[in-house]
Amino acid sequence: MLPLAALAASLFGVEEPVDYARDVRPILTEYCFACHGPDEATRAADLRLDDAEAARASGVLDADESELVYRITEAEDFEVMPPPKMGKALDAKQVEILQRWVAEGAPYADHWAFEAPVRPEPPPVQDEAWVRGPIDRFVLARLEAEGLTPETDADRRALARRLSFDLTGLPPDPDEVDAFVADEAPDAYERLVDRWMDRPEWAEHRARYWLDLARYADTHGIHFDNYRDIWPYRDWVIAAFANDVPFDRFSIEQLAGDLLPEPTIEQRVATGFLRCNITTNEGGLIDEEYKVLYARDRTETFGQIWLGMSVGCAVCHDHKYDPVTQADFYALSAFFDNTTVPVRDGNVQDPQPILRVTPESERDRMAALQRQRDAARAARDERAASSTADLRAWLEAAAESGVDRQIDASDEELSLALREGEGRAVRASVRGAERTVEIEESAAWVTDGPIGSALHTDGATLALDDVGDFEFDQPFTSSAWVKVRKDEPTGALWSRMDAPNGYRGWDAWLQGRRVGAHVIHEFPANWLKVVAKEQLPPDTWVHVAISYDGSRRPDGLAVYYDGVAQPTTIEANSLDGTTRTEVPFRVGTRTGGGATGAALFDLRIHRRVLTPEEIAALGFATAVGDALVRGLDDLPDAARDGLQAWWLRSEDDEWKELDADMRAYGEAIDEIERVSPTAHVFGERDGDPMAYVLYRGEYDQRRDAVGADTPAFLPALDAGESPSRADLARWLFRPDHPLTARVAVNRFWQEVFGSGLVETSGDVGLAGEHPSNPELLDWLAVEFRESGWSVKRLFRTILTSSTYRQSARVTPPKIERDPDNRLLSRGPRFRMDAEMVRDTALAASGLLVREVGGPSVKPYQPPGVWEAVAMRESNTHDYVRDDGAKLWRRSMYTLWKRSAPPASMEIFDAPNRETCAVRRERTNTPLQALVTLNDPQFVEAARVLAATALSEAEWAGERMDWIMRRLTARPLEDGERAICAAVLSDLIEHYATRPDEAAALLAVGETPISEDVRPHVLAAWTMLANTLMNLDEVVTK
Amino acid sequence: MTDAPNDLLAGLRETLTRRHFLCGGSHLLAGAALADLARTESRTRPLPFAPKAKHVIYLHMVGGPPQMDMFDPKPGMAEWYDKDLPESVRNGQRLTTMTSGQARFPIAPSKYSFQRHGECGMELTELLPYLGRTVDRMCFVRSVHTDAINHEPAITFLQTGNQITGRPCLGAWASYGLGSMNADLPTFVVMVARPTNQEQMQAISARLWASGALPGEHAGVSFRTAGDPILFLENPDGVSDSVRRRTLDGIGALNQRLLDDIGDPATRTRMEQYELAYRMQASVPDLADLSTEPDGTWTLYGDEARKPGTFANTALMARRMVERGVRFVQVYHNNWDTHANVAGRLPDQCRDIDQPCHALILDLERRGLLDETLIVWGGEFGRTIYSQGGLSRENYGRDHHPRCFTMWMAGGGVRPGHIHGETDEFSYNIVRDPVNVHDLHATMLHQLGLDHERLTVRHQGLDLRLTGVEPAKVLNELLA
Repeated sequence: MLPLAALAASLFGVEEPVDYARDVRPILTEYCFACHGPDEATRAADLRLDDAEAARASGVLDADESELVYRITEAEDFEVMPPPKMGKALDAKQVEILQRWVAEGAPYADHWAFEAPVRPEPPPVQDEAWVRGPIDRFVLARLEAEGLTPETDADRRALARRLSFDLTGLPPDPDEVDAFVADEAPDAYERLVDRWMDRPEWAEHRARYWLDLARYADTHGIHFDNYRDIWPYRDWVIAAFANDVPFDRFSIEQLAGDLLPEPTIEQRVATGFLRCNITTNEGGLIDEEYKVLYARDRTETFGQIWLGMSVGCAVCHDHKYDPVTQADFYALSAFFDNTTVPVRDGNVQDPQPILRVTPESERDRMAALQRQRDAARAARDERAASSTADLRAWLEAAAESGVDRQIDASDEELSLALREGEGRAVRASVRGAERTVEIEESAAWVTDGPIGSALHTDGATLALDDVGDFEFDQPFTSSAWVKVRKDEPTGALWSRMDAPNGYRGWDAWLQGRRVGAHVIHEFPANWLKVVAKEQLPPDTWVHVAISYDGSRRPDGLAVYYDGVAQPTTIEANSLDGTTRTEVPFRVGTRTGGGATGAALFDLRIHRRVLTPEEIAALGFATAVGDALVRGLDDLPDAARDGLQAWWLRSEDDEWKELDADMRAYGEAIDEIERVSPTAHVFGERDGDPMAYVLYRGEYDQRRDAVGADTPAFLPALDAGESPSRADLARWLFRPDHPLTARVAVNRFWQEVFGSGLVETSGDVGLAGEHPSNPELLDWLAVEFRESGWSVKRLFRTILTSSTYRQSARVTPPKIERDPDNRLLSRGPRFRMDAEMVRDTALAASGLLVREVGGPSVKPYQPPGVWEAVAMRESNTHDYVRDDGAKLWRRSMYTLWKRSAPPASMEIFDAPNRETCAVRRERTNTPLQALVTLNDPQFVEAARVLAATALSEAEWAGERMDWIMRRLTARPLEDGERAICAAVLSDLIEHYATRPDEAAALLAVGETPISEDVRPHVLAAWTMLANTLMNLDEVVTK
Repeated sequence: MTDAPNDLLAGLRETLTRRHFLCGGSHLLAGAALADLARTESRTRPLPFAPKAKHVIYLHMVGGPPQMDMFDPKPGMAEWYDKDLPESVRNGQRLTTMTSGQARFPIAPSKYSFQRHGECGMELTELLPYLGRTVDRMCFVRSVHTDAINHEPAITFLQTGNQITGRPCLGAWASYGLGSMNADLPTFVVMVARPTNQEQMQAISARLWASGALPGEHAGVSFRTAGDPILFLENPDGVSDSVRRRTLDGIGALNQRLLDDIGDPATRTRMEQYELAYRMQASVPDLADLSTEPDGTWTLYGDEARKPGTFANTALMARRMVERGVRFVQVYHNNWDTHANVAGRLPDQCRDIDQPCHALILDLERRGLLDETLIVWGGEFGRTIYSQGGLSRENYGRDHHPRCFTMWMAGGGVRPGHIHGETDEFSYNIVRDPVNVHDLHATMLHQLGLDHERLTVRHQGLDLRLTGVEPAKVLNELLA
């Protein structure tokens, strides 16, 4: 590790040996490695400078005659390095460093972040009194080397406020601050830490940071950008922090909860992490293209969060600086691509795979219901299996009472069995009278009928002059077993219709494999037509029935498939006039055109509307008869099973009762599921994970296949031939892993201090910043790991240090020497994140509704933010604001629409949650001032804060103090109070004569106006509260 | 990272980074002046190229206009009506999954007639009579092609140089590279126009004007057509200007005490931002107040321009913004996605933009602003010559087509009256002078005086730039 003396020396310009990692490699990384680094494809002159051995072997580093030094100092024109076309040149200082490095023998060193951290000994310091723990030793040693002195503890109020924000994201309750100020016990501060850490707000606050990493949002992201019901994952994260789930388990469950042995509901909900990526359902999308993008996003997110590296740089080529090859990247991506998650989100809120998360309170009942349902199903199936004897008995009884007792045969117009199986003569029963009819040559017998033979018609098949001549007010039902091929032409299955004469008559119609019906007086003005919306499945027997009730209305026509009424499309709806014709009833065509083909069996016509039950029975009437004739045992298996199933469903009371039980349990289960939130979960496909290396990262440019594996420069994954995602997740937590612990503690540090010990918290690779205090980082990393990955314990260690407790005062020497507080020469002070700014207003005013978790909410937002960008078809096009308590929930619960993030939060640099965001920006813009000055939610908060102050305190000075204490945990100073008093007196004077303005101001927001205060007084106090809420101190931690 | 990229130190640092691509190390300004540059433009700052343009007005036609119905006439197609597109033309190129399953690819000749205009002889559809009169001030590129085939990635590519979301957009780069000319207004403004016909609107996302890896202040500010032009600009109900001024004075006085006590430069920056916000509250309504426009304006732009949110209105607003020093005005006009019903929709689409574009060119010219304002017009891709869905001589639909489409530019030093590039007889493939999106971007930056290879930002260890990693070039043929 870096000797402090060397660092100090370099900063003070003392001639000390250059340090490869700190001084040299950053220069080589920025200027040289692009052409002389690990990427073979772009390597120039066969020279590699990143690899010590290769560089030495090339001879360019020879101290006495170094080509490298020549190229950066004396060379001209085409020889000079870096080449002018690169657009950047070394400055004098950089040239000097490289020269000195070569002169010193060009020593290389491995990158600090790729070697496992070892716990360093906390160094000795001069000012022992300042030190509270190991963290302080590392920090102070560094400060002393710089000649800087740390600050003393911040005053207790400032400290309590800072601590409250770091632990809960909210300002402290002023009474608690007072109690802490008065608490003289030596461990008063430590007890405060513990107390606040146990609050639910702690978990919400930590989760809020994690959700930036997880790219959590409430819409799909691309194109329609519809709502996504994924908040149970968000609540899982909150619960995990509340329970201090160790960071290893926390990580493993999110990455591979589904692959753990017998995963719990919670462990599966955790994998929602892998479902948080943006998705699309755009019309023309090419699935493979997005499948690749999704896997890439998951891989990059994994790399950012746990490895602290932008592995995505190796999507198109080997990494330019870091030792991540393109093959490494795709091998890593294989872990995340072997999934059952489909590419298209379907624009639905719950695309598969999902899990209904039964509320905790319903879980016992749910389990009981599931057991009961399973038992009922088993009993029902048992009944089915043992019912054959009863079926036989029923059949015998049926034989005695007549086969067709199911259906009153007195209205039968026609029965055509179509089961002869040979010859050209078929039996027909017309109104009870048997006769024989000749069929055309084009019709052919087939053997795979519902029971034995059936007739395949191909156009005109047979004609019967005296059948089906119905008037328009005559109800009738025609039915048959039908089997069609995929591409059967549009035409009539059977008809009595005179096509040349205005298509008068009726038919059973086949149109694009949909069954329809015509009843026509005269086409095209006087007729009815409906067509089923569903197609018949090709090459499958379906019992088709069409009934007409004689009403002359299209809804009097019904189409049934296998006894189930079908939704239909009405294509013609006006009938008034006779439908009787001279032409015969025909099978396979109309008279004068409209032929089609189909296999038919058991065609019947009844002169009335059959009930749905009768229609279902009709489908089996033939089977029943057949069973009686041939005996149950001689029926083909399929026919016997079908018969038995129909019999159980319609005739067997025992089975029906058990089935009803099962359904009742099922409905109770559905009822619970309807109120159970949806968790989006990850699912693993069968087979070993693999991926293709994609040339230039393009989805259709596949090269070598690679199996799932971790990058070669990190410790090997010892998980046999085909490692799983679970193996990958566990691998992160091997004790010798160099990255996981460092990257995690660095990010937690960033939450507290505003920037990490490595400032580039998403990149600890070669191009990242060198740690500002490497020993401290390593100490924290080892401490975190050895403490069993407890996040609470880590925060406790950090927050009880002297380093954290310092005053935030900035002195000119410190601006000069430590402008960004990288050396930690003072306490952290920076503008709070978007959520904290809004939550502070809500909490200070008392509006905040402290309810943990649940569906996301839609608080105040100006009109047009969604509407301006969303597609009209999107279900997040119109922003319909919530009312009541949902207006005042913590900002982490605000519904996050990706293509239009919450407006006031976006202005405060909230990320759009499309990709993993490791660090937020912290800008300072006029648009932010407009939010806290004018946004109705801030104005309402100011009004409520003012009204409460007026009722809680008596004198103006006390009231001002009361407001200030709510906002900043301290009373006003005298000078400040004088400023406030002057502002207030002007405001009261202003509003006293302008009641309209006062009324308008007080009407902002949904909270009722307090009636016991004069409006102009409340208006003035509202604007004073608005003034105080806009202080730099208020929006700053 | 400090609290305040705008504070003195951060400003210095950022300016020093910028110097890298602006000055090429040849001409350094004094530190004090540099500090100022972070916020306001200095006209004395040398750029790598002499800038032709100071402003850009980018008119993005969301959905992808049909080039063969507007700018790229193919009269020979009349004989190909309902015949299949030859396989040799399509040549196995990928199609969207909306038409890849079609059994046939029947050619739909444009139903519109074309007329030759101006000295350059540019042929335009009968639906663009106004623009016919300004062709000699415009530069048409018939040979733009893109990599993406569906809207989201294609719009993202045109706007950010990358199909994957999250990169800085053109306007953000311009803001980053050139800074502001008027601190009281945003540097980069976005307006979403409302089309007359709304049959097939596409998604437009706020991500399109995000700053990506650039500092957040370079993100586009959405200029809204309903409610406050800029979010939260208006004082709350019942808060007059005098009340606001009084409270701001109170905030200022209290913040000054804090600054004296704690000494954090970020506090000073915040005090400045509050004053800036106050000035913006005055300057933005002034910008949006059209009552002072002379009658001639309405003759020129048409009465539609009086209605907030129309394309004509945004065109007029764009001119007013440029006049007041806004760097980059991004306008989106939707509903060009004519998968079906070209005949029912294209006349409305063209009417929406025809007179306003013509007016914008003439208006800027009349005010001496056309030379310094680059206007860019175009969609995210073109459309297919073959019909999607039903085809008749009178109506047809067209699917997305990335292989060629037409864009045009005007002003800002582009070559007037120039027609660039040529497509095959099917308007399917480019046969001469293809123009890729990166080259187009490089050219736009060049006109602003910026070198696309040196305008970079450090991101995840890489120098990120608008034109990506593959070499891109400035298209000198398009320049005056």
